[in-house]
Amino acid sequence: MASPTHVRVRSYNVGFGDCFLLTFMYAGEKERNVLIDFGSTKASRSSPDLPTIARLIHDHSGGKLDMVVATHRHADHINGFGGASGKTIKALKPDLVVQPWTEDPKLAPDAQAPAGRAADAPTGSHALVARLGNMQAVAAAVVAQLPALEASPSVRKTVREQLAFLGETNLANADAVRNLMTMGKKNLYASFGTELPVDDLLPGVKIDVLGPPTLEESAKIQTQRSSDPDEFWQLAATRADPTRADGAPDVLFPAAAVTGPVPQEARWVIPEIERMRSEEILAIVRILDSVLNNTSLILLFEVGETRMLFPGDAQIENWSYALFTAPDCDEIRKRLATARFYKVGHHGSRNATPKTLWKGFEHVGPEGGPGRLETMLSTLAGKHGSVARGTEVPRRVLVEALKAGSNLHDTEDLRKAHPWADVDLDL
Amino acid sequence: MPELRTRPMYILAQDCGVRTRTRGRSILTARVPIAWENLFGGPTGHRVQVVDYDATTDTMYDPALTPRRAPRRPPADSQILGDPTFHAQNVYALVMATIARFEYALGRRVSWCFRGHQLKVAPHAFEQMNAFYSREAESLVFGYYGAPGDRHFMCLSHDIVVHETTHALLDGLRSRFMAPSSADQAAFHEGFADIVALLSVFALGEVMDVLVDRNRRAEGGLIARSAVTAEEIMNSWLLGLADDMESETEGARVNALRRSVTLEPDPNVLKHVEFQEPHRRGEVLVAATMRAFVDAWVRRLDSPEGARTDRIEVRRVVEEGMDVAATLLTMAIRALDYTPPVHLTFGDFLSALLTADTQIRADDSRYGLRKGLLDWFSRYGIAPASEAADGLWEAPAGNSQLVNEGVRFGSLQTDAVEMFRLVWANSEKLNLNPTAYTRIASLRPCIRTSPDDGLPLRETVAECLQYVQIYASELEPFGLTKPEGMADDTEIALEGGSTLILDDYGRLKYEVHNRLPDPARPNDVVKAQDRLDYLWEQGHFDPGASFAARLSTIHRLRAIDPPVRSSEAW
Repeated sequence: MASPTHVRVRSYNVGFGDCFLLTFMYAGEKERNVLIDFGSTKASRSSPDLPTIARLIHDHSGGKLDMVVATHRHADHINGFGGASGKTIKALKPDLVVQPWTEDPKLAPDAQAPAGRAADAPTGSHALVARLGNMQAVAAAVVAQLPALEASPSVRKTVREQLAFLGETNLANADAVRNLMTMGKKNLYASFGTELPVDDLLPGVKIDVLGPPTLEESAKIQTQRSSDPDEFWQLAATRADPTRADGAPDVLFPAAAVTGPVPQEARWVIPEIERMRSEEILAIVRILDSVLNNTSLILLFEVGETRMLFPGDAQIENWSYALFTAPDCDEIRKRLATARFYKVGHHGSRNATPKTLWKGFEHVGPEGGPGRLETMLSTLAGKHGSVARGTEVPRRVLVEALKAGSNLHDTEDLRKAHPWADVDLDL
Repeated sequence: MPELRTRPMYILAQDCGVRTRTRGRSILTARVPIAWENLFGGPTGHRVQVVDYDATTDTMYDPALTPRRAPRRPPADSQILGDPTFHAQNVYALVMATIARFEYALGRRVSWCFRGHQLKVAPHAFEQMNAFYSREAESLVFGYYGAPGDRHFMCLSHDIVVHETTHALLDGLRSRFMAPSSADQAAFHEGFADIVALLSVFALGEVMDVLVDRNRRAEGGLIARSAVTAEEIMNSWLLGLADDMESETEGARVNALRRSVTLEPDPNVLKHVEFQEPHRRGEVLVAATMRAFVDAWVRRLDSPEGARTDRIEVRRVVEEGMDVAATLLTMAIRALDYTPPVHLTFGDFLSALLTADTQIRADDSRYGLRKGLLDWFSRYGIAPASEAADGLWEAPAGNSQLVNEGVRFGSLQTDAVEMFRLVWANSEKLNLNPTAYTRIASLRPCIRTSPDDGLPLRETVAECLQYVQIYASELEPFGLTKPEGMADDTEIALEGGSTLILDDYGRLKYEVHNRLPDPARPNDVVKAQDRLDYLWEQGHFDPGASFAARLSTIHRLRAIDPPVRSSEAW
């Protein structure tokens, strides 16, 4: 069978999240469809709900998905695979479901395993997966505590908002995870260099997996120099005891608790302690968030000389293996440089489009130029980070650079009546 | 009733993991004398206010009352774990004992960096695996974690409480050491706090007893000399203690003792990428110091004064260890007065350590600590900042003595305006930049007693700081080059400063400086360029970058987090 003649990348307006449908067209053959991510943690005024988008995907794919990619476990990338919208996607009978190696159920240890240093304590890959599970338990605990933090006047508003947002993004999404595990004919858990068997599914298309690296390949993604991190998250997770999901942790010494008004001499420092606590929680949830982002798949689709890059939410630590450390990193950078299409990493955050990557793109150029780079940004401003601190998502200077050097398609520009944008490339 | 000078109090000797060898292996405590003061509920005294508020459960616990007389018996394990009053008293006593160590070493009262006089301490601040000092909150906060029945309280770890108190005290002495500067300065706070914490633990007889008795090799109060070698102490005693310590199993905190023992000497260690991270780099300073400690200890036991038999008294091993730990601790604290006020490097600290000690303890033959420190620091790649052969700061030459016309000596020790007058009158000699914002950041008279002759040594220590705020486009007159990629309108603060040490007569003994860069002094320019490049590389000039090192962040990073490559970000 010949190579595709044409490809359409369609991004759906899911609010804050990602959802991309790739359709490869062939001369005289039926088209082939690949769904990359489907999730949202915040609707916008113009974004339909997830079941509606699932029906659109059904219609736009002609009732058949050849391949589904879930780049990583964050809710804004996979929660569409759960619930009613998940059922619709399952009915599209994907042949192959691709996820990062960290999602491999064979690696998943018993999430309820007690903390401690048993002789058969998980090591290496198992330990990382255990840690991811523990982190999500921590996120659940944080979400359970949100109402109490909401009520505290000493917790800064920005801290409160970020906690709510990051906490919900990092929840475990059990329903979606289960559905992803069972919806496809075949599941594949990929890492840097994994060969995806797509010759029959997507004739003429080659997919390079550029991330995430495995533990052996990169010490950076595993965030560890000793056994400490495992212990840290394991112990933090004991805090996330499901029986205390009401967010009311035990008072340490009930008999010594002051029942009347707080002593006058303590009143100055109490709001300070509350503020420090909320900022500590936020710092921990941020680490957790970035670790999960760094388990994200980075896929480079290749049809002949045309390359399209889908890096999920990979941040610099994940990218750095392919860009700087891998034995063939020079060659990889050369191939990346020729990309015609770039899905902007992590909704346009400041550290998911490595400057080395951006500066390398050969098709970046002035408006109207032939073969100018096409970029797609799925995001929702004002939900994440702060302009004053330079952490806003999408990052303004990045968006400016994208506009100046590429044809930028931003989901925020979409209307409710037509909640998708297309990029068409002749191959 | 006669006035009491001290109030003996019980503290945890290390933490709940370190237990007695006898008495049913109960948690090891120590009885320490704390300077007498009127205590209110909390305890609240003139330096410390313990506020037992838990933000996680929004609960205030009864302020602890402290009896006039110390309890006769050490607290039982159940009281240690279950009585918040003991927790409050434990942190109070440990903070006060640490303040006393600093005041003893420095020969004067020490103050906090903030305006209040009382450091607030929250022993059960929140359910988190972190403990830290916060300048803004004028506080030390200690977290707790673990399920009910298996709770761990960070306020019960001797080394953690002393570590955090040291951050607060160091911040009071050198407020610019938390400012962004170099890899060394970023690491120093953490490393120094670990050194003070570990040596404080070893200066306690109770811990030493347990340490020396680890392998139960002592018989009849004697121990084989073959069991008292540097190697044995490092690998068996210290690592054994590290194994027992709670911070080892909790994962919330790096075990500084273990790291210092297992970090092998390597003159290139500070060049490794891993040791560019502040939380790793500080461990190098700790390792060098702990090895010098062990060597001096072993040397004392080996001294010709000791009987040359194959066995040695356990008591002597314990007491020599405590003595060396206390002496080294005093040295380390004293060194702070001899450090530059800004841009500290490990080499600066080493020169300060050697110089300050020489002033008061001219004869080092008893411990050989100065030689040992010089040697061990060099094995970890740390050379004294002073170029003098002995590594000591060089005293100003005769013709660079200060002009003190019009300066009234009487008030020079206490009046910052008078000191500024002296500095201004000598601005050329001191190589000050006359256009910079200049101020006397601190002025501290001190009296120390020399152990050699018992006579007092009087010194006045003044910190003079200089500051200019410029744009990246204005770096050239300072001899500096803009880092690649830095925008012309990036705002840059350049800082410089000198610590002036004056003698009994107001004469300049030492001027320890890291000056503002000036093309006329290429050495200063090279150092300033390195700092600028480092901060650029670290993302200090990125939007939203935090100005001061956040100690809470450093602690967390020590336990869990990876480095971040900031030059790739937007």
